[in-house]
Amino acid sequence: MKILIKNGTIVNADKIFEGDILLSNSKIISVGKNIPESADKVIDAKGKHVFPGFIDLHVHLRTPGREDEEDFLSGSKAAAAGGFTKIFCMPNTNPAIDAESIAQWIIDESLRLGVVDIYPIGAITKGREGKELTEFSALKRAGCLMLSDDGASVSDSLLLRRALEYSQMENLLIVSHCEDIRLSGKGAMREGVISSKYGIRAVPDIAESLIVARDIELAKYLNKRIHIAHVSTAKSVEIIERAKKQGVKVTAETAPHYFTLTVADVEKSKFNSNFKVNPPLGDDKDVAAIKQALGKGVIDCIATDHAPHSQAEKELPFDVAPFGFIGLETAFSLTCTYLVKNKVIDLGGVTEKLSANPAKILGFKQCGKIEKDADPSIVIADLNKKWRVSAAGFHSKSKNSPFLGEELLGVIEYTIHKGKVVYSGSNR
Amino acid sequence: MKEWTKQHILGIKDLSRDEIELVLSQAQAFKEISQREVKKVPALRGKTVLNLFFENSTRTRTSFELAAKRLSADVINFSSSTSSLSKGESAVDTVKTLNAYHPDIMVVRSVSSACLYDFDKYTQASIVNAGDGQNEHPTQALLDMFTVKEIKGTLEGLNVLIVGDIRHSRVARSNIFAFHKFSSQTTVCAPPTFIPYEFDKLGGVEVSYDLDEVIGKADVIIMLRIQQERQNSSFFPTIREYVDKFALTGARLAKIKKDCIVLHPGPVNWDVEISSAIKDKVHPLILKQVENGLAIRMACLYLVGTNKR
Amino acid sequence: MNKFKEKIKILTCDDIRRILYRLTHQILEKDPDPQKLVLIGIQTRGVYLAKRIQQIIEELEKIKVPLGILDITLYRDDLTTIGHNPIVKETIIGFDLTDKVVVLVDDVLFTGRTVRAALDEIMDFGRPKRVELLVLVDRGYRELPIRADFVGKNIPTSNKELVEVRLKEIDRKDEVILLQEEDRIPKTEDREEAI
Repeated sequence: MKILIKNGTIVNADKIFEGDILLSNSKIISVGKNIPESADKVIDAKGKHVFPGFIDLHVHLRTPGREDEEDFLSGSKAAAAGGFTKIFCMPNTNPAIDAESIAQWIIDESLRLGVVDIYPIGAITKGREGKELTEFSALKRAGCLMLSDDGASVSDSLLLRRALEYSQMENLLIVSHCEDIRLSGKGAMREGVISSKYGIRAVPDIAESLIVARDIELAKYLNKRIHIAHVSTAKSVEIIERAKKQGVKVTAETAPHYFTLTVADVEKSKFNSNFKVNPPLGDDKDVAAIKQALGKGVIDCIATDHAPHSQAEKELPFDVAPFGFIGLETAFSLTCTYLVKNKVIDLGGVTEKLSANPAKILGFKQCGKIEKDADPSIVIADLNKKWRVSAAGFHSKSKNSPFLGEELLGVIEYTIHKGKVVYSGSNR
Repeated sequence: MKEWTKQHILGIKDLSRDEIELVLSQAQAFKEISQREVKKVPALRGKTVLNLFFENSTRTRTSFELAAKRLSADVINFSSSTSSLSKGESAVDTVKTLNAYHPDIMVVRSVSSACLYDFDKYTQASIVNAGDGQNEHPTQALLDMFTVKEIKGTLEGLNVLIVGDIRHSRVARSNIFAFHKFSSQTTVCAPPTFIPYEFDKLGGVEVSYDLDEVIGKADVIIMLRIQQERQNSSFFPTIREYVDKFALTGARLAKIKKDCIVLHPGPVNWDVEISSAIKDKVHPLILKQVENGLAIRMACLYLVGTNKR
Repeated sequence: MNKFKEKIKILTCDDIRRILYRLTHQILEKDPDPQKLVLIGIQTRGVYLAKRIQQIIEELEKIKVPLGILDITLYRDDLTTIGHNPIVKETIIGFDLTDKVVVLVDDVLFTGRTVRAALDEIMDFGRPKRVELLVLVDRGYRELPIRADFVGKNIPTSNKELVEVRLKEIDRKDEVILLQEEDRIPKTEDREEAI
């Protein structure tokens, strides 16, 4: 099946131009002006913006273990609705993705469902317990490209050193969840005046940056690659920026909530558990630093850290409720509303942060751009339209979003993956 | 005097100075009832007060229970240990379940800080905070203020000194916000590990690590209970060292202003935060606080219980 | 709340003084042994009236009878339906009521509900030999079977009117005023009927 997208504004990271795109299920056949209408399906994209499919390096799909919160189908549909055509799911499942068989199963399921590509991220340590390394080669063979103990930090510096060293053999990227778990303790929010005022156990910002610094020092010492997950603090940004200048092979992601929300929003929400996330929401300085880091390229990409939780879990009191928000379906619009509109990044930056840079980090040469022979994954969006976030509108099984009720700019109309329309926004 | 309009009493943070004054003046009237032959008035006859305690507290619960009974309300006590929360039953579920009994007032003690603010989504009842985690314990602060006003005649321009585990203390927080509304200055005195982060930016609070230096200035001293298990979490090395630096002893008592009053939310760990050698000097007032607590809680229940919605 | 405006002065300062002397004489006439007598004033103006009567008794009999203060708020039958919290004022009854003759003092007798509440509350304090009721003004419109033993002045009123007793202690002067609901222009015949 061939699809022809007519008269769209094509947004590559380095160039924005008007044109048509003809694609098949294996590649983009051609990009140009006035491509003859010889396709099975023609989409008129006049006045719309066309992006290469987004890639999310950081999602939690809760499967296996909590299929009531998210499964591969609902997660895939949520991804497609958010413009993501490749998503990488973290191994904090039950059982953890720490063995070849589980990783292989996820890839098989992804192919069977055929909505978007789901890639497993293997655990660094068995059961994510931070004690023994998993079989990196076997995980690689099953299809893992990255390893992480996300949700937990690898506290043992020696173990992380070994993981960084050993992973090089299989060209696996270590994704580090940076958190000094002794400093963060049972903290539920960022430490500061608000936490002190309400007596809520809190996490100091250095609980993140201390480990960012440690991990970067290790990567630098060993001359290995490392990817820092969900950067949330100004202090971490400063450390990453310095390391990049020194040529350390570090890449970094942040999540939409770190450039949109602050700890003041937690107070404003009356400590609604939908505002509890790890790392916790920071202050204005952090938000400003994250935005600047995105603008300057210190932070390479935006990942959602999509973290579904059941309603019952989020009804628990703030200090004991689990961490995390769903994010697949709001990431693009939050990026438009909070970054593009405010000129933190330009439209090309959207492609860069959501598609081109993640592709580069993974070594996906045909992704992250719209050109002849590239991956036929496309997002068509109307940037002049607004929509209101509602629980009923989510495709995810879980509804735990801090943005419920908010009006956002940028409506995704089509998501095309491997030459197939996997989402069409007419039903929103 | 201003009319009472609040449906709930969730914390001192949400009360205005006028509202605090109203509670105190009403407590004055309610105090007399406990001295009558028949210690009961029909004010809340036919009303149901639910004591919902997610954390054990015999003293506070007893005080609320008696307060409700002296106002002729029907009282149900519901205690749920913290372990049921971890089993997946949320406080919200419990509130929803008990709401089916149509209580008029829910008195809630919770282990979670700041968890009561959206409870009104789940119940029609008025909610009175009997201590939410480390956030607030408004009736304790109100009874402290009542006791101070009874003795000092004023709440304004006082130097209030709070000594002890400020970090984990809802009593300290509520008192700080309360006295701040009356332009009184609070000094918190404790080892730095017991002082929350950026606490001096809260407004109305000064921080000291030296009890001997600040004790002489105080008009009111509130000694907080020290939980011995904090020693295990490295908040302080030993009780011995804590007592040496921060306990109220005979020697320190000799340094206080002549008209300074010493309060304690109880129960006192004698020879930890207060030396038992001065028990006969400080205990009578601490017991008076208990009596005043009953009047304060009667006033709170009366105000929210008769406030038509 | 409806607005009221002053319509007519019913009692002057002198009237009130004379009435209180008369009522005190009536009390003493009925209960010649002042040793058993106690006065209980109902908050707020009943308290001041009771104090004045206490002084008059002292002047006449050279004996100071005990005086109690009663706030009936917590015994009101409309406490949970009126929609706002009436402020609870002091109750001070510093003596035993058992076997005493209680003279309950209030400013205006209207529906009788206040007196009902006061009687209930007094019973919770003890078992008096007898309770008698003294009011400065009885304006009618009883809703309960209650009658005053000592009445300063009977004033037939309409239910669109209010009787306001003002006393020096808190109102700067002594007088009793009839108030009329403001949005209703009184017709001549109404007024005549009312007074």
